[in-house]
Amino acid sequence: MKNVQSLGALMEERGVSRRAFLKYASYVASLMALPPAAAAAMAEGLAKARRQSVIWLSFQECTGCTESITRAHSPTLENLIFDFISLDYQEVLMAACGEAADAARHAAMADNKGKYIVVVEGSVPTKDGGIYSAIGGVSNLQMLQETVENAFAVVAVGSCASFGGIPKANPNPTGAVAISDLIGGKPLINISGCPPIPEAIVGSLSYILSFGKLPELDHLGRPKAFFGETIHDRCYRRPFYERGLFADSFDDDGARQGWCLYKVGCKGPVTYNACATLKWNGGVSFPIQSGHGCLGCSEPNFWDGGGFYRPLPTPLGATGTVLAGAAVAGAALGLGASHLARKHQKNYLAAPKSEED
Amino acid sequence: MDLLSFARGPALTFAMAIFVIGVLWRLIGVLSLPAWRDDSPPRKGAPPAWLSALQAILGKMIPHKTFLKEGMFTTVNGYVFHIGLAICVFAFAPHILFLKSLFGFDWPALPNGLIYAAGVITAGSLLAALVYRLANPVMKLISRGNDYISWTLTFLPVVTGLAASSHIGARYETLLALHILSICVFLIWFPFGKLMHAFLFVFSRGATGIRFGRRGAQL
Amino acid sequence: MTSSCANSLAPELPAHKKTGMAEPVLREIHARLESFAATGQTGAIDLAGMPLTRADREALEAFLGRGEVSATLDVAGRSEIWETAYSGVWWVRHWGGDAVASELIEITAIPEILKTDRTDAAGAVKRLALTLQQRDRGSNGDGA
Repeated sequence: MKNVQSLGALMEERGVSRRAFLKYASYVASLMALPPAAAAAMAEGLAKARRQSVIWLSFQECTGCTESITRAHSPTLENLIFDFISLDYQEVLMAACGEAADAARHAAMADNKGKYIVVVEGSVPTKDGGIYSAIGGVSNLQMLQETVENAFAVVAVGSCASFGGIPKANPNPTGAVAISDLIGGKPLINISGCPPIPEAIVGSLSYILSFGKLPELDHLGRPKAFFGETIHDRCYRRPFYERGLFADSFDDDGARQGWCLYKVGCKGPVTYNACATLKWNGGVSFPIQSGHGCLGCSEPNFWDGGGFYRPLPTPLGATGTVLAGAAVAGAALGLGASHLARKHQKNYLAAPKSEED
Repeated sequence: MDLLSFARGPALTFAMAIFVIGVLWRLIGVLSLPAWRDDSPPRKGAPPAWLSALQAILGKMIPHKTFLKEGMFTTVNGYVFHIGLAICVFAFAPHILFLKSLFGFDWPALPNGLIYAAGVITAGSLLAALVYRLANPVMKLISRGNDYISWTLTFLPVVTGLAASSHIGARYETLLALHILSICVFLIWFPFGKLMHAFLFVFSRGATGIRFGRRGAQL
Repeated sequence: MTSSCANSLAPELPAHKKTGMAEPVLREIHARLESFAATGQTGAIDLAGMPLTRADREALEAFLGRGEVSATLDVAGRSEIWETAYSGVWWVRHWGGDAVASELIEITAIPEILKTDRTDAAGAVKRLALTLQQRDRGSNGDGA
């Protein structure tokens, strides 16, 4: 469907004034730590924007990311995003299914050529021609390539799409890869997390809508507004870390006093996300506040990061076996060396004295 | 694989394996050699061998008063960076957890602020040691690559550790990876260079003590 | 905002404790108000970006008090806007559902969101003209 009206005009038809944009922009600007003055610019950008066509593809995923974005904390505000975008294809939310749904996707691609955003949830299997995940006989790989070809930008939502996630975890039987490996030079944002904080998805989409460009991204393609700081650097339990007060196990004295969870496996120091500041469920809590260490779910390969309950300094790999083998080898070398030395000494002492010696 | 996973994974495992192989090779290689045979009778009133050994090991912790003035800087500065290294390595919570994963037990940690202070002092003390080595003509004359390599590989973990904990110079994960990699290089070099004195000094002092004690010579 | 079962476990944030963070905010308000009074330069402080506990926020609100003007907005959820006891210092509280979505202190003549955008007025003109037209056409037109 062609959307030629501006969002401002669209909202006006519904009897909603420009104030909705100002309120929404003020909320998003606050989320992204933009100065309050930026809200006005954002509101203006939004009002002038066209309703953005969005095609949401679902591949090797658990649908947690869709669940996250639809569990809006501020429903009246966050649901505005569904007014600002035209969600032309979304397998969970759309009414159509089967061939009708696919037809909707193709129609949106044709009508908005070069202008639509592709949101991808889930990784893509590549082994054996990508047959391990297919919709209507079309492999994910093929669907992604044909949909992304005329897209304006790609948003990889969740750690599976951003980095490969759980399908890519050892031993990766389906040859799962991240979306970034498959889309060539298309502008891409990775909004990682398992699932991502809904405000991160909504805020990033709003930014693109308002300003027509991608927000500032880090080296992994994640918006710095939400992924610029580690959990550790914003954690309210940090003073306990610095003072050496740790929970040694779950529900012990230290845990009950809210001490640092480093020893029970918290990966906060190497995890970039907004959990410690924005928190979850509209600012209610986040894993550490609820007594469980950070899993590092917004980082690549966090499933293979050494175990959720083994502390960060634990080496990766089967060190016990290797070191046992090394000890045996070292002892053997030592005994071998001293044996050779003794033999040499014996020969030397037994040999007749001559000028050469 | 990213740098940090490489450092924590294959690099560290390999380095620890080389360390174990090397240390056992050298220690067992030396200790299983035939014992020195002293066929002369021990001097009257000579203490038992184990006591002489202990006296030598502990007694040589402080230089003899004849050499104390000359060796004051090396002795004091040496203790400063050795104790500093011990504090940084064995009293810092993340390090204790690393050792716990290897040996199965842990012990209380010191507050991080104290560790950072110890780290800074250790780095300064190590630099002072290097300056002394370069400035003193005798030290400079007798120093070899072995000494400088051993110094560098001890200094790098301290400096990268300080950089990582203060987030200076690069992203935290990169600094942490560099710190762990510097430890890997340290561990690989350890059994084959001057750093092996950490294990060998006990036996060499002990052996000297046994010989001298048997003959009644003053240590 | 915190769940009830949190009471038996670790106290996460001292929501009931005043941390004193309201003080620097007041100083900033003072500085910006001074600037506004002298030159007309407006300013805004995003309260969500500050490490304020609930107690700090309440203390700030109590200190600033209420002035002559207050307004309720009914757009994308409720919003409350009032001028504090200090002319030019406005409190803007946006609700999104049951919880506060964003909160600002604006130092200005009147917050932008209260003003009517002329584009909206242009749209309203069309609607008004249409309604008047229908009323003029006869008794069948919708009077209300």
